[in-house]
Amino acid sequence: MALQRNLGLLGIAALAVTITVSCGAEDRTGETLKLWHYENETSAMAIAWNEAIEIFEEETGVPVEFEERSFEQIRQTASQVINSDEAPDIMEYNKGNATAGLLASQGLLSPLDDAVEENGWDSVLAESLHITSRYSEDGVMGSGSWYGVPTYGEYVMAYYNTEMFEEYGLEVPETIEELEDVMQAFVEEDITPLAQAAAEYPMGQLWYQLALTQADRQWVSDFQMYENPVDFNGPEISYASETLEDWIEAGYISADSTGLTAEDAGTAFINGTYPIFFSGSWWYGRFIEEAQHEWDTFLFPGEGMSPGSSGNLWVVPETSQNKELAHEFIDITLRPEIQAIMGNNGGVPVAADEADVTDEESVALVENFNLLLEQDGLAFYPDWPTSTFYDDLNAGLQGLVNGSLDPETMNSQIGADYEAGLDEN
Amino acid sequence: MTDITKTPRTKMRRSSKRSIGNWIVLTVIALAAAAVVFPFIIILLNSFKSPADYASGNPLTLPSSLYFDGIVNFWNRVNFPEKLWNSFFISGMVAVLAVIISVLNAYAIGIGRVKGRISLILIFLLANMLPQEVLLYPLYSIFRAIGLYDNVWSVIITFTVIQSAFGTYLLASVFGTFPKEVLEAAALDGAGRWRTLWSVVVPISWPTLGVLMVFFFIWTWNEFLIPLTFLISNSNQTVPVAITALQGDRLMDVTTMSASALLGMIPTLIFFLIFQRTLTRGITAGAVK
Repeated sequence: MALQRNLGLLGIAALAVTITVSCGAEDRTGETLKLWHYENETSAMAIAWNEAIEIFEEETGVPVEFEERSFEQIRQTASQVINSDEAPDIMEYNKGNATAGLLASQGLLSPLDDAVEENGWDSVLAESLHITSRYSEDGVMGSGSWYGVPTYGEYVMAYYNTEMFEEYGLEVPETIEELEDVMQAFVEEDITPLAQAAAEYPMGQLWYQLALTQADRQWVSDFQMYENPVDFNGPEISYASETLEDWIEAGYISADSTGLTAEDAGTAFINGTYPIFFSGSWWYGRFIEEAQHEWDTFLFPGEGMSPGSSGNLWVVPETSQNKELAHEFIDITLRPEIQAIMGNNGGVPVAADEADVTDEESVALVENFNLLLEQDGLAFYPDWPTSTFYDDLNAGLQGLVNGSLDPETMNSQIGADYEAGLDEN
Repeated sequence: MTDITKTPRTKMRRSSKRSIGNWIVLTVIALAAAAVVFPFIIILLNSFKSPADYASGNPLTLPSSLYFDGIVNFWNRVNFPEKLWNSFFISGMVAVLAVIISVLNAYAIGIGRVKGRISLILIFLLANMLPQEVLLYPLYSIFRAIGLYDNVWSVIITFTVIQSAFGTYLLASVFGTFPKEVLEAAALDGAGRWRTLWSVVVPISWPTLGVLMVFFFIWTWNEFLIPLTFLISNSNQTVPVAITALQGDRLMDVTTMSASALLGMIPTLIFFLIFQRTLTRGITAGAVK
């Protein structure tokens, strides 16, 4: 009897010990994970991340204190907030030299190298996605420590109105010549084929895409990461500007597009004014919701590179009180099931199993992205190299569209702007 | 001021025939009014459209059916009543505090005629002329040091100072023309400086102070950059800051943005209508006869 009781006591004591031990390791009472992001709550990213928040709370027992921010607010105030007590433990931030790179070079972001190694994030993410995650001491992307982790991607493709293609008996083009034939067919029916906007990014991305058809990976590294000087009168850029001029003359692009914004071009594609819109995956969800016709997408002909990159990054501020928890959260957002949620809601997951993406409308989007990754085809965006090149390029292209600049003059002009921008960097 | 505004009005009533000049002025005013109203109309038209409706027409077409989801979505998403209260509290506090400070300053400068008042006024004007971007970093350091970062009082203090600088400048010149007889009479009756201010100067200039208060309220209400920078938590944000929550990186939702602009505009409109009479009285009054 006494023995039994003693045994029982021992058992209870042992249980108590294990409880205390487990509490010691997991004692996270009173902790919270303060999380900020600025994705619209109906977007694929927000839907997937909300699920990740629930899983995180369940697994760690730590509540997530989530606040939705506005893009504008983060853009204007990030460097100040991150340097104060109000800083979040983890936040979404724009990738690129002028944003994440700048904060990293100021020492405001915590390096993630150990967490990357521990969790194997570098093998989960394709090589070309690493570039925007790593920043050198000067804040230039492509080398140095890891400062951010992307959980989604984005790329530029051609959206096309399948109803209009069928009406005129046209097929999806597989070469640039075929694409020109398709556009010519529309012009003959008095339809301007390309929805374009030279006041904002769409025209620049088409121009860059055309240059990419003539370029190799090294040229992209030279242009984006300044590895070698870029010849603005070389074959890549000359081809882009000259082809664009030909297309404008042939009527593939409306001369009115000089004053149009991306929003104008997008809504004109939605209401069926133009049959082809060359732009990014960020439109995908909106077209599913709003397009008044059947549509589909294809990658720019030529099986080469396209503008695109990783999406925005999770970054952990240096002032974060809960870096470990932040790393755990990042790891959850990269899990296949969370990535699949993103893929099924019109987002572009970076680590999804294609078999998990079952939503019919989203499959093509994910497949094409994975195809690009396989081809090492993410070439970033034309406005990334310098902080002023976005405006410089748009000014040049507007001149080209309205005829005040010929391709050669435009190339020299933006070449000089590019050089000037690099000197300022 | 009184003379200028009153004379032509009485003249107009007398002559039933309008001259060509009058017609020209009328057309110019009508055109100006149309230009002012135009953005309002765009906002109104697009606030009640569904995104698909917006995409199928252009910004100027009438909505094909009334769509309230944009307004409802915005209201719920940013917790609009909370933002409304924040804006109201901040603007109200600033309006009252800035007017009090302006009166005290202007009393010393305009009526007390302290030494070096011109240079003082110039310094006050500087506060108004400095672009706010210049103020951001110094203010950021100060408020962090004293623990007011992410606190509505950081914005209240900043704008009280900025608005009262303008108020001081304006009131100082108004008080500069304050009739000496009234002040002398008050002095004869044995009123001290303090008493003269509160029992004589303030009641007489009440209409002007009312106008200032209304302007301070509306100006502060519409401020964007400083509230954006100093009010970090969503629960502290003001209406104009909340409106930007809808602007994305590459996409914007025009209909919901219009709806939010409409919601953000209504409070100032209501406020303006309520105090409209104070405004007109303040402009026409101001002198004692």
